[in-house]
Amino acid sequence: MNTEKLTSSVKGMMKSFGLPRIIIAVFLLVLFILAPFVGVNVGTSLSDTLNRFGMNAVMVLAMVPMIHSGCGLNFGLPLGIIAGLLGATISLQVNIPGPTSFLLAIVFATPFAVILGWGYGQLLNRVKGGEMMIATYVGFSSVAFMCIMWLLLPFSNPTMVWGYSGSGLRTTISVEGYYLHVLNDFLAIRLSDHLVIPTGMILFFALLAFVIWAFLHTKTGTAMTAVGSNPIFARASGINVDKVRTLSVVMSTWLGAMGILVYQQSFGFIQLYMGPFYMALPAVSAILIGGASVNKASILNVVVGTFLFQGIVTMTPSVMNSMIHTDMSEVIRIVVSNGMILYALTRKTEAVR
Amino acid sequence: MKQNLSRTFWIRVAAIAIILVFSVFLFFIGKQHTVLVDNKAVTVNGVEVKALQLVEVEVNSLGSLELAARDRDKFDVTGQKHKVTVIYTDANWEEHTIVRTFRIPLMQEMVMILLPALVADPEGDQSLWLENYELPTYAMTAPAEEPVVTDDLAVLSDI
Amino acid sequence: MTLHMTKTQKVLRFMGNNTVPILFLIICAFGIPLSGYSANYLISEVVVRIARNSFLIVSLLIPILAGMGLNFGMTLGAMAGQIGLIFISDWGIAGIPGMLLAMIISTPISVVLGWWCGKILNMAKGREMVTSYIIGFFMNGIYQLVVLYGMGAIIPIRSNALVLPRGYGIRNTVNLIGIRKSLDNLLTVRLFGIPVPLVTFAVIALLCLFVLWFKKTKLGQDMRAVGQDMEVARAAGIRVEHTRIVSIVISTVFAGYGMILYLQNIGTLNTYNSHMQIGMFSVAALLVGGATVAKANIRNVFLGVILFHLMFIVSPMAGKNLIGQAQLGEYFRVFVSYGVITISLVLYEVRKKRDQSLAGLVLAAEQEETV
Repeated sequence: MNTEKLTSSVKGMMKSFGLPRIIIAVFLLVLFILAPFVGVNVGTSLSDTLNRFGMNAVMVLAMVPMIHSGCGLNFGLPLGIIAGLLGATISLQVNIPGPTSFLLAIVFATPFAVILGWGYGQLLNRVKGGEMMIATYVGFSSVAFMCIMWLLLPFSNPTMVWGYSGSGLRTTISVEGYYLHVLNDFLAIRLSDHLVIPTGMILFFALLAFVIWAFLHTKTGTAMTAVGSNPIFARASGINVDKVRTLSVVMSTWLGAMGILVYQQSFGFIQLYMGPFYMALPAVSAILIGGASVNKASILNVVVGTFLFQGIVTMTPSVMNSMIHTDMSEVIRIVVSNGMILYALTRKTEAVR
Repeated sequence: MKQNLSRTFWIRVAAIAIILVFSVFLFFIGKQHTVLVDNKAVTVNGVEVKALQLVEVEVNSLGSLELAARDRDKFDVTGQKHKVTVIYTDANWEEHTIVRTFRIPLMQEMVMILLPALVADPEGDQSLWLENYELPTYAMTAPAEEPVVTDDLAVLSDI
Repeated sequence: MTLHMTKTQKVLRFMGNNTVPILFLIICAFGIPLSGYSANYLISEVVVRIARNSFLIVSLLIPILAGMGLNFGMTLGAMAGQIGLIFISDWGIAGIPGMLLAMIISTPISVVLGWWCGKILNMAKGREMVTSYIIGFFMNGIYQLVVLYGMGAIIPIRSNALVLPRGYGIRNTVNLIGIRKSLDNLLTVRLFGIPVPLVTFAVIALLCLFVLWFKKTKLGQDMRAVGQDMEVARAAGIRVEHTRIVSIVISTVFAGYGMILYLQNIGTLNTYNSHMQIGMFSVAALLVGGATVAKANIRNVFLGVILFHLMFIVSPMAGKNLIGQAQLGEYFRVFVSYGVITISLVLYEVRKKRDQSLAGLVLAAEQEETV
């Protein structure tokens, strides 16, 4: 009798968690177990995974507000990334070296994020029901538009512009001397020769995650959740649905801007032009791997999802390469991330959108 | 059920069979081969035959090629059945023309016509002067590593 | 609310319905003189593009008829066509037989992929476009698995020119010299000094006739019913899910043939990139022609090809002459391509809402009258 109940409850848990996620989690575990046997240092792998976790977590966090308010998966993340890029480039143009440049980048990025997010939100409010497709193409169009802008805007810092002509930004700009590893090295814990925990970056993410979590428990935050799960009831309760949705879009865009800044300080480079083009897809699939759906997401989803996704992206090349001497990591990454998004899109959801 | 199995099912099977036969037909008539023509001294049945001083060769109507001694050239053809025309001047300053048809094995990419052998025995079977040819593997000097570019952002290229 | 529209209202209505083509006309009107190309050059280039791309764009029409929106999953058909071409290149089959054989090989692959794609789209009703978009990316991964790792290793490929030096996987570019322009060169006529590939146009015309005929058949009418209202169609006894899958299968198969036609004109196969771009550009071209997510016809196809490709051709030179950097023109045309899809999608959603609210108002007014 007891075993029956146990198996049925385990089955229930497995069903709600979803078979693909279990497969991915098991796959990652297998990779970690195999690692020492094929000569891959577990410490370095863990360290790399944590590093990539920190780099990407904020951008995955950016998905949460829009999912909560029912705007669907934010395929238009590139818009927020562009706000962040503008902040970064202007900060470098102002040319104050050292950690202050990071704060300056945040300060400069914020107004862009708010304005772009507001416009984007207004647009999404007019197209309820088809947000995801339009978000994708708004993201692409804005990246393409900024390509033109990066060529034309009057930047002059010699580290940023092309050597010969002196105008037009380079494709990748190094942040060395400015805010390279500014968060990574802050309070970094060195456990061993191979294992380094980038505490600063993780703390930054934890701070932002806490802010979002706290916000979702305020009155406006609960209103946001209400709008997402039942817009008609929300409107009947007197909530201004459009305003709340716009707010969620602005928050999402701003988090996207923060996310790319965190990414850059760890990666070491600002990637312009077509760099941000496909950056929404890893973030979307990460949060879906973590257990979110098209209209339900929590901070736990962000943490679990980013860890699993980045774990696979880190471990597959090194382990598979040592095992079968083929680098199939790119293909696996494509299949896993897009497969996860497909899985989520084909689930029946409570609020039919 | 039994009735459905009779008509629609068999019509579909017949259609697929026709397409398969047609595909094989296409394979036959479309297969490309390379015909090398060689003017080198060659040993036929133990007899050494010298290369010709100057010879004109044409396969089908692809334009005639002139070969001196020890020259080699090629023709790209489609299909299996072909005609070769050889015009040469022998030791007595007489001009001879030989026209022969030959058949290339289906799965053979490259064949070679040994012109001296053909000239020595114009009426002989094609196996005397037509031989299969395989590219020597050492001739493949491909670069050690060719990076595969899977660049999704190649949107800027021409369509 | 009067039913009669004044002349200005009619003009505004026309402009509203055809915003995107008009916008493109304006862009071309500026771009063409700026680029400095001669009319002869432009016309011959556009003729080439029409012959090359129309088949692919026509394949997008049937899913729109069935209410599936823009079939970004045509990428799957393109992949099937490419696999067919890889095989005939390996076997060394040239000319028209090569092309036909590639089409025959691609058909079962397209059918399977299209059927699978249709099944998944049925599981994501209401989100077909995003889903087909992601399916395209997902299948790209599977395609790479097959072509970059499977071919040469598990699937026998003999030709050394095709396989990478490491022993398995197809190279970045495959030379299609065997079938290059084989259909185009069958019968080329020079009209006013511009070469026109007649046979290719004949094939495209045949496809258009097929689509027109198809719309009148029972299956075509079923699709239209499903496209307008799934529940009503279901109540009328139509097998809705099956019809939707069939529409995607047909589209995928034609996309495969279209890709082969496209590649025989270009002459080189870019193994890992061609299929990804082609979906986006075909959709953009169709939208530029005035089609919407719910309504598209043959007119839109040809108008779209002409306008879109005109813009595409003149942008780099126009950018160079205007600002001094050709790169700017290239970025501009990418921006315009994506922008036009964005605008079309937004207009479609906005108009849908407006029509819905209008219908609601009319219904409410009627109910008020009866009360």
